[in-house]
Amino acid sequence: MRTFIRRVLDRLFTSIAGLSILLMAAALVLVLGPIIVKGASAVFFCGTVEFRRMQVHEFNSGDTEAVKAETQRCQEARKPAWELIELFSRGIDTDRLEGQVKDAIREYDKQMRNRVEAGSLGAQEARNLRAKARRLRDFMLDALETTDKATALRRLKDVLDSPDRAALQATAGEELFRLAEQYKATVETVDLTRRDDYAAALAETRTLLTRLLGPAPGSAPKAALAQFRYGATRWDQALKLRDELLWREKYVPDQPGKPLKKTRVRRADEFANTKLAALFPMIDQRLEKMLNPRSTFYWRFFTDDSTPGHFFGGVGPEAIGTLMLTAIAMLLAVPVGVMTAAYLIECMRESLALRVLRTCINTLAGVPSIVFGLFGLAFFVLWLLPKLSLSNGPSALAGAMTLGMLVLPIIIRASEEALRAVPPSYREASLALGAGGLRTFVKVSLPAAMPGILTGIILAMSRAAGETAPILFTAAVAVGPWPGSPLKPCRALSYASYDMAVSDKLAAQVPHNQAGMVLTLVVLVLLLNIVAIVIRSRLTRKLRGT
Amino acid sequence: MTRSKQVLILTALVGMMVAVAGAADPKTVKMEGSTTVGPIADAYTEVFKRMYPNVTITVNKTGSGNGAAAIVDSRCDIANMSRFMKIQEFKDAVAKGVMPVAHAIAMDGVCVIVHPSNPVSVLKTEQARNIYTGKITNWKELGGADRKIVVVSRDTSSGTYETFEKLVMAKQKMAAGVQYVASNPEAHATVKSTVGAVAYIGLGFVDKDVKALKIDGVMPSRKTIAKGEYPVSRPLFMFTNGYPKLGSIVHALVTFHLTPKGQDIIDAKGFVPVTDY
Repeated sequence: MRTFIRRVLDRLFTSIAGLSILLMAAALVLVLGPIIVKGASAVFFCGTVEFRRMQVHEFNSGDTEAVKAETQRCQEARKPAWELIELFSRGIDTDRLEGQVKDAIREYDKQMRNRVEAGSLGAQEARNLRAKARRLRDFMLDALETTDKATALRRLKDVLDSPDRAALQATAGEELFRLAEQYKATVETVDLTRRDDYAAALAETRTLLTRLLGPAPGSAPKAALAQFRYGATRWDQALKLRDELLWREKYVPDQPGKPLKKTRVRRADEFANTKLAALFPMIDQRLEKMLNPRSTFYWRFFTDDSTPGHFFGGVGPEAIGTLMLTAIAMLLAVPVGVMTAAYLIECMRESLALRVLRTCINTLAGVPSIVFGLFGLAFFVLWLLPKLSLSNGPSALAGAMTLGMLVLPIIIRASEEALRAVPPSYREASLALGAGGLRTFVKVSLPAAMPGILTGIILAMSRAAGETAPILFTAAVAVGPWPGSPLKPCRALSYASYDMAVSDKLAAQVPHNQAGMVLTLVVLVLLLNIVAIVIRSRLTRKLRGT
Repeated sequence: MTRSKQVLILTALVGMMVAVAGAADPKTVKMEGSTTVGPIADAYTEVFKRMYPNVTITVNKTGSGNGAAAIVDSRCDIANMSRFMKIQEFKDAVAKGVMPVAHAIAMDGVCVIVHPSNPVSVLKTEQARNIYTGKITNWKELGGADRKIVVVSRDTSSGTYETFEKLVMAKQKMAAGVQYVASNPEAHATVKSTVGAVAYIGLGFVDKDVKALKIDGVMPSRKTIAKGEYPVSRPLFMFTNGYPKLGSIVHALVTFHLTPKGQDIIDAKGFVPVTDY
C-alpha cells in the first residue's frame, strides 16, 4: 500500500512539474509571440512607393533615379483622382476661389500702381481702372457666394461680358476671367444648393486621400513635418485607409433608450450624381497602380535614425544608446561587485556584521527601480557630476552609474555564491604551495568561480538593458542626436518604448514601429546573453581541462 | 592577449572617452517636462534640425512637475509645462536665483469623451462633476441607455487632471470607484473599448473612435477653444530662466509658435494656436 501511495505521489509530482514547464512555455509564447510577429512587421512588410520616396528623402537610402521614375509612374496613375477632386472642389470650396479672386485683383492693383510710378499711366486713369476691376471682383464674389444657380450665372455673365474686359487684357486681372469661365463650367454641373453638405464631406475625403497618397502635386503639406509629406508607406496601412475612404462609419439611433447602432455608408453615395462619385471606384480598383506595393525587407530599421515621435525610420540611436548604457554600467558594476563578493568571502569571518551586510545587499536588490532613478538624479546628476564639473543635467554616465548601482546586488550575490562553491581544497593547495592570499584569489579562486560570476553578469546585463525608471531622470531623452559622448544624455530602447506608449497620438498610427522597438530590445538582450553564455561555456571547458 | 596589449586597449578606450567629451558641442538646448507639450517640442526639433543643422536639441518627457524641478535645478534650458508653475516652485526657483518666465505657446481643450455608440452627446459642467463625484452612476440619468458609467480619470499628478479638477470638479473630490490611467493614449484606448466609459483627454487625441461631448452646449473645437467659448481649456507653456537672449536658439524655440510655420505645426499636432495667420 505504501509503495502505491509513494508511486502516486511521485507521478503527481512529475506531472505537476511537467505542467508548470508547459505553462511557462505557453506564457513565453503568449508574451513573446505577438512581440515577435508584430515586431517583425516593422522589418518585413509590403512597402509602397511612398515608403521608397520617404527613404530617399529622409534617410538618403535607395536608388534615387529608380524611385524618381517610379514616383513619376504612380503620380501619372493618381492624376485622374486629383483632377476629380480639383474639378469638384472648384464649385464647392469657394473660400479658396474667393482667395484666388482677391489675390488676382490685388496683383492688378499693384501693377497699376507700378505703372503710375513709372509714368506710363495717369493717376486718374489708374484710379478709374482699379475701380472697374474692383466692381468686377465684387460681381465675381457675389457669384461665388450665392447658392442660387440663376443668380450665379447672371453674375458670371456680368463679369464675362463686361465692357471693361478689354481693359484688363494682358494684366494680372485676366486671371479673374479665367476663374469665372472655370466656375461657370462647374455651376452648370454641380447642385449649388447642397454646397455646404458637400463641402464638409469633400474636406474629409480630401484629408483621407492626402493621407493615402500624400499631398496633392503642387500643394504644400499640412505642416513642415515628415509625417505630412508622404502618403501611406505600407500596403496594410493603405488598405485600412482605402476602407475608410470608401466607407464612412456612422452611429445611428436604433431604439430609444438603447445604444446607437454602428452602420457603414458608402461615401460614394454621399456624392451620388456628381462627378466626384467616380473617384471611389477608381481608388478601389486602381490603388495598386497608384502606390505600387512591393514586399520590402527593411533591415535598416535597426540602424536608421527616426523622425521625432518614431513615425518614420528605425531604432539605430536607441540601440546604440542602450548598448552604451549597458556597457558602461557593467564596466562600473562588475569590478565593484566581484571585489565586494571577494571581500565578503575571503576576508570576513561569519559574524553578525556579515549577516547584517548580506541582509542590506538583499534589501538593495528588492528596492524598486524608480527609487534608484530618483537617487541617481539627486546624487549623480545634481551633485556628483556637477561637482566634478563633468556635466550639468542628465548624462549617459549618470544613467549608467545608476544602472550599475541597480545591478550591483545581483552581481554581488551571484559572485558570492560562485566563490563559495569553489572547493576549499583549491585554496588550500595554492596556499600550501606558498602563494599569497591575493595570488590565490586571482589565480585560483576567481577563475574557478568565473562561470558562476558570468551567470550573475548575464542576469545583471539583461536587467540593465531593459530598465526604464533608473534612466528616466538621469540619462534618457526622447529626441536627441546619435549617442556619442557619455557625458551627454542619450536615447535608449526602453525609454523610447515608454515614450511612444504615453506621449504622442502618432504611436497609434505606427504600431509596427512600437513593436519593432520592443523586439529590438528583446533581440539585443538575447544577443548579449548568447555572447556571455558562449564565453562561459568556453571557460567551463577550459576549467575542466577538456 | 598579452598584458601590454590589454593596457594599450584600455588606455585607448579612456583616451577616446575623454576626446569625445572634450569635443562636446556647446550649442545644445535641453527641453524637459510635460508629456502633453512633448509632441510639440518633438515637432519643433524636426523643423529646427533643418533650419539650424549644427544645433542639438534634446527633448525628455517626464511630466510637468519634473519640468518645473528641472528648470529650478538648471538641468534644462526650457521646461515644457501643461500647467502654470505653482507658488512653491516659484519660491524654490527664486531661492536658487532662477527667474521663471512663462511663454504660452498654444491652447489645449480638455474634452470629455464617450464611446461613439453612446446616445448622450451633451453634458452640463455640473453633470460632468456629478459623474466624477459619483452622484450620477447610470447613463439612464442623462438620457442614455441603461448602463453603468465606467468613470476614467487621468492620474492625479498630470496637468490634464489639474485642469479638469479646477475647471470641472470645482475642488470637489472624485469618487473612490474612479479608474485612473497614466496617459492620454491609455484614456483613449479605454473609452474606445468600453461602451459605458467616460474619460477626458486633450483635443488632439479625439478621433473617430471616441465621441467628444458638448459641454454646456459648446462643442470642443479649434474655433470654440480659440474664442474662449469652450469652458474646459488651458494654455500650454514653455518656461525659461529669464527672458532668453534675442537671436538665441532658445528664443527661437519659445517664439516659434508666433510664426506661420510654428502655428501650422501646433495646429497639425491637434492643439489650438494662440495666433491666427
